[in-house]
Amino acid sequence: MSTTRTVDLPSEAAGAGGRTSARTRPRGRKRGNQGRRTWRQSLRRDWQLYSLAVLPLTFFAVFRYLPMAGNVIAFRRFHPGGSMFGDQWVGMRYFRLFWHDPTFWHVFTNTLVIGLLTLVFCFPMPIVLALLLNEVRSRKFKKLVQSISYLPHFLSTVIVAGVVMQFLSADGPVNQALHHFGHSPVLFIQQPGWFRSIYVSSELWQTVGWGTILYLAALTSIDDNLYEAARIDGANRWKQTWHVTLPGIRPTMVTLLILNIGTFMAVGFEKILLLYNPLTYPTADVVSTYLYRMGVVSNNFSYAAAIGLFESLIGLVLIVSANRISRRTVGTSLW
Amino acid sequence: MNNISRRSMLVSLGATLGAASLGLAGCSSDGGSDDDKGADLSKNRTDAMDKFGVNEQFKASKPVAFTTLLNDNPGYPEKANWLFWTELAKRTNVTLKPTVVPLSDYENKRSVIIGGGDAPLLLPKTYPGQEAAFVSSGAILAVSDYVDLMPNFKDKLAKWNLQGDLDTVLQDDGKYYVLPGLHEDVWIDYSFAIRTDVLDELGLQIPKTLDELYSVLKAMKAAHPDSYPMTDRWSQPTPGGAMLQTFGQAFGAGYGGGWGYANAAYDSASDKFVLTGAMDQYKAMIAYAQKLVAEKLLDPESFTQTDDQANAKFTSGKSFVISTNAQELVNTYRPGLAKSVPSAKVVKIPVPTGPAGEVKVGLRLENGLMISKKARNSADFVAMMQFVDWLFYSDDGQIFAKWGVEGVTYTRDASGNFHLTNDVDYVGLNPTATKKLNVDFGFSNGNFAYGGSTQLLESTFSQEEKDFQKVMTARKTLPVPPPHPLNADEQEQFSLYEAPLKDYVQQQTLKFILGDRPLSEWDAFKGELKGKNGDQYLSLLNGAYDRFKKAKTGGDKS
Amino acid sequence: MVTLDTTAIEDKPTQPAGIRTTRGYRIFQVVNALILTAVIVVTLYPMINILARSFSGDGYIRSGKVNLLPRGFNITTYKAVMTNSMFWVNYRNTVVYTVVATVVAMLLTTVYAYVLSKKDLRGRGVLVGVAVFTMFFSGGLIPNYVLVTSLGLKNSVWAIALPNAISVFNLLVMKAFFEGLPVELEEQAAIDGLNTYGTLWRVVLPLSKAVLATMVLFYAVSFWNSWFAAFLYMDHSDLMPVTVYLRNLIYGSTNATSVGFSEADATAVGANIQAVTIVLTTLPILVVYPFVQRYFVSGVTLGAVKG
Repeated sequence: MSTTRTVDLPSEAAGAGGRTSARTRPRGRKRGNQGRRTWRQSLRRDWQLYSLAVLPLTFFAVFRYLPMAGNVIAFRRFHPGGSMFGDQWVGMRYFRLFWHDPTFWHVFTNTLVIGLLTLVFCFPMPIVLALLLNEVRSRKFKKLVQSISYLPHFLSTVIVAGVVMQFLSADGPVNQALHHFGHSPVLFIQQPGWFRSIYVSSELWQTVGWGTILYLAALTSIDDNLYEAARIDGANRWKQTWHVTLPGIRPTMVTLLILNIGTFMAVGFEKILLLYNPLTYPTADVVSTYLYRMGVVSNNFSYAAAIGLFESLIGLVLIVSANRISRRTVGTSLW
Repeated sequence: MNNISRRSMLVSLGATLGAASLGLAGCSSDGGSDDDKGADLSKNRTDAMDKFGVNEQFKASKPVAFTTLLNDNPGYPEKANWLFWTELAKRTNVTLKPTVVPLSDYENKRSVIIGGGDAPLLLPKTYPGQEAAFVSSGAILAVSDYVDLMPNFKDKLAKWNLQGDLDTVLQDDGKYYVLPGLHEDVWIDYSFAIRTDVLDELGLQIPKTLDELYSVLKAMKAAHPDSYPMTDRWSQPTPGGAMLQTFGQAFGAGYGGGWGYANAAYDSASDKFVLTGAMDQYKAMIAYAQKLVAEKLLDPESFTQTDDQANAKFTSGKSFVISTNAQELVNTYRPGLAKSVPSAKVVKIPVPTGPAGEVKVGLRLENGLMISKKARNSADFVAMMQFVDWLFYSDDGQIFAKWGVEGVTYTRDASGNFHLTNDVDYVGLNPTATKKLNVDFGFSNGNFAYGGSTQLLESTFSQEEKDFQKVMTARKTLPVPPPHPLNADEQEQFSLYEAPLKDYVQQQTLKFILGDRPLSEWDAFKGELKGKNGDQYLSLLNGAYDRFKKAKTGGDKS
Repeated sequence: MVTLDTTAIEDKPTQPAGIRTTRGYRIFQVVNALILTAVIVVTLYPMINILARSFSGDGYIRSGKVNLLPRGFNITTYKAVMTNSMFWVNYRNTVVYTVVATVVAMLLTTVYAYVLSKKDLRGRGVLVGVAVFTMFFSGGLIPNYVLVTSLGLKNSVWAIALPNAISVFNLLVMKAFFEGLPVELEEQAAIDGLNTYGTLWRVVLPLSKAVLATMVLFYAVSFWNSWFAAFLYMDHSDLMPVTVYLRNLIYGSTNATSVGFSEADATAVGANIQAVTIVLTTLPILVVYPFVQRYFVSGVTLGAVKG
């Protein structure tokens, strides 16, 4: 992970487009040529910084990397109650088991599709909402919308699923509206074709408000003078948004986009479990729900660990690629 | 969340039948050494009674403490000052030290705590089949090796002829690892609630069979053409959970559809397991349900709606028939209807019968307890087994756990009936009382009080429920399917077939019922089951069954 | 407090003068207000429904008759929950756990994010990699349980605070923010004789109130809502946070009547327990939120400093 080429733009004012190049200059403290320094020099110069990293690194070592050794059970047969690291080597057995299972690939595809749809819809909407909020004149109205739009974030999945079912039932509001237009009722919950739309909309409803927080924080820190300059150049409101506001929050956008890409396989297990039924399995069943129904989660830790490793690998590849692409194209990256 | 861990005796049975008989080839050597240890208990008799027999009061020779997991029910959260704890210590010299686990995620924690080697000695609230996952690790005691220490358990097994039921929890090594709760008779709780005021209005009788149910619904539909006379609940995560189970059993399709559905059912004619979904009886069940939907007698949303939605339809008077159990009738339907349709009358009808006749199917095993293997090395091991036997299986222990202390929480009349004392209430039997048997005293606690004789079970029932049970008790109980324990490799293979096959049958069942697929494609559907590894699935089961039969005849000879 | 004088400048970046008069922009303002009002309605409807349910009678809820106003007003469930001493014990636990865990998390996240934000720091790539890797690879449940148990953390607040001390997501967001701080300030700090610790404490943090407030909110809300760690590592009910208590209560009321529970397990909790739960757990956050929100706007001062 080379660091010399990274241009990590902050969620803060001066990231505005035209000034990007200015931000690539080496950091201060008059340490040009830093890449060539020896470790000894680095330590002597930056020992205070390194000392700050000690506690966090200890945290990662103890609470993250140590338990990771347990993943060895993906290659060893583990019996609940037996050795934490499994009892005997079985090689790639558990990987072969899911690799040759056609149902696994079916649910895997569903996972990708739902993850992708969630990414496509749930990533940009908070940005749009944040920009709209940004244009609101009345401070009270703005605060009101903000505070209210956060509320769904606090609802448990059970409630959200219950509300969705209520809305889409044969005599629910949606079907009543359809009836109003002379349409016969649609049993949305029973039709595989509707599941993904339902899932993504409910996800959107739940996350869009909360998702604006980071963007709003970034928006507040865009430098006034940039708007001033744009105005003097004769830019109208739309152009200001395009040339000042968006570049200003771009680092935040890119950071979040990369993070979302890396984690897009992690679709909402509990919500799907509550919303799907055998009729909608063809589109709704994802890896986690499939494993759940197989009883693997509670009974076969080894099998679950193997699939978990597979998913982790995909996630890692995705985030590294996304980061690399982002660094090459827009000059922003996570590391 | 409310549906995630929903389970039933029948589901557990399905698990035993199918998924969960995890045995391990590699542990046969362990088993051998266990047998040796099993014989020698001389070092484990501290505090035990020298002679402990049926219905004798157990008392440890000096105070001892045993650790236990405790499933904490929010309805009666654990209190350290419960009379249950103090009286138990007084009678048996045993203090139980609980690790309190919220009921919502009990199984999760039990799994981790055993996996982490940190488990208490007693692990109650374990449903038959759930123990299978822990068998091969050796963390759980093969209790079958030590039932000689448990005279009351053996007594009830023999008296109620429960060996066949108990065989369903046998593992591949021929032992069992859970001490299930034992019922004297199969206990049927689920049936249909029906609006008798609507029946009266139309001059109809309570339906006794499925055909009569159909006619009743038909008549209701004629009188109320805009409504679905029947709607249903308990559809998540298993569509038609209670209803298809009832229908399927009435048609003789093994344990039925819905909750009862297991991929394989035992066919006594051929002495083999067959695919439930391919049985003619299963097809008959589908055809019946499909007829109800097609004629708009049964709400098509029944199979996917939430319980709340279904309850709303029934209690607002839109529908007149719905699945029920004893509690929902009293707690949900009647109070709900009282507000919207004050003249409404609802009863739980005896389960409607079908072509299978006046029968009932089910297992007489209830949730029970596992014991940590490490208990075996304790000096108090024998005392602990005697204690467990007394508390969970002796008549006195069961009465104590359920009703408490005579004169304090209950009294008995001359004919042996139980009555709560004046100031104590339980399930509304004594509504004016200020204290509750479970909340304030710790009795009738699901961790310790379950199973038992029919008389004890029904001692807390309302008269109405007793009448229902009387009808059900009179019906013949079908024998349970024979055991077919799988070894570890088979088990892993099996778990890969199990879910996809079950999913497919459930999905197509719904499509047939809802009319998305015509029943003329039944034969094609049976062919598709082969594509879902139906044949391999059966050969696994039948292979295991054959092996079990051989082992048994071999064992009998020796 | 930086926020005291923000009312005046708060709207400045979003409301540049001279634009308001455009006709197109006025139309946009109207449309925008309509859209946002729609957002409010769509969001609020279920919430008000939940509030109404929490005050309604069982019969009305079960027959689906509660819409925006309570029907058959009743507060028995509130009473039942709030008169239970365990509820308050657990509520106190939640507050303690949230505060302690958030403080620990903020401490570790901030210092690490600061270190990672130094682009010319040797080995920085590795330090970032160490964190990012853990976003995807983690130990299973059992190794974590064994670890916490063997460190002797069980049944203490540390079992909740320590294993979740750094969220990599928050770490990266914070790091990106620090990277954007004007270099000149730190140079000036160095000239003024501040060492690294002093720079962080006296210069960087005061400038980072917006992101710090956001992170505090993110951490606090996630700890407030979390239940699994406590459920796993606490062995007695008086150590549980209120989330575990209420989860159990909801589960008991929705499942006690379902299959497989012995008759002994019957519980009678009102049909509105879910609604009451949401109101009781969400309320404190809603009350605290406006105080946190004030800090979001303080980022403005940053622009002022730079200007």
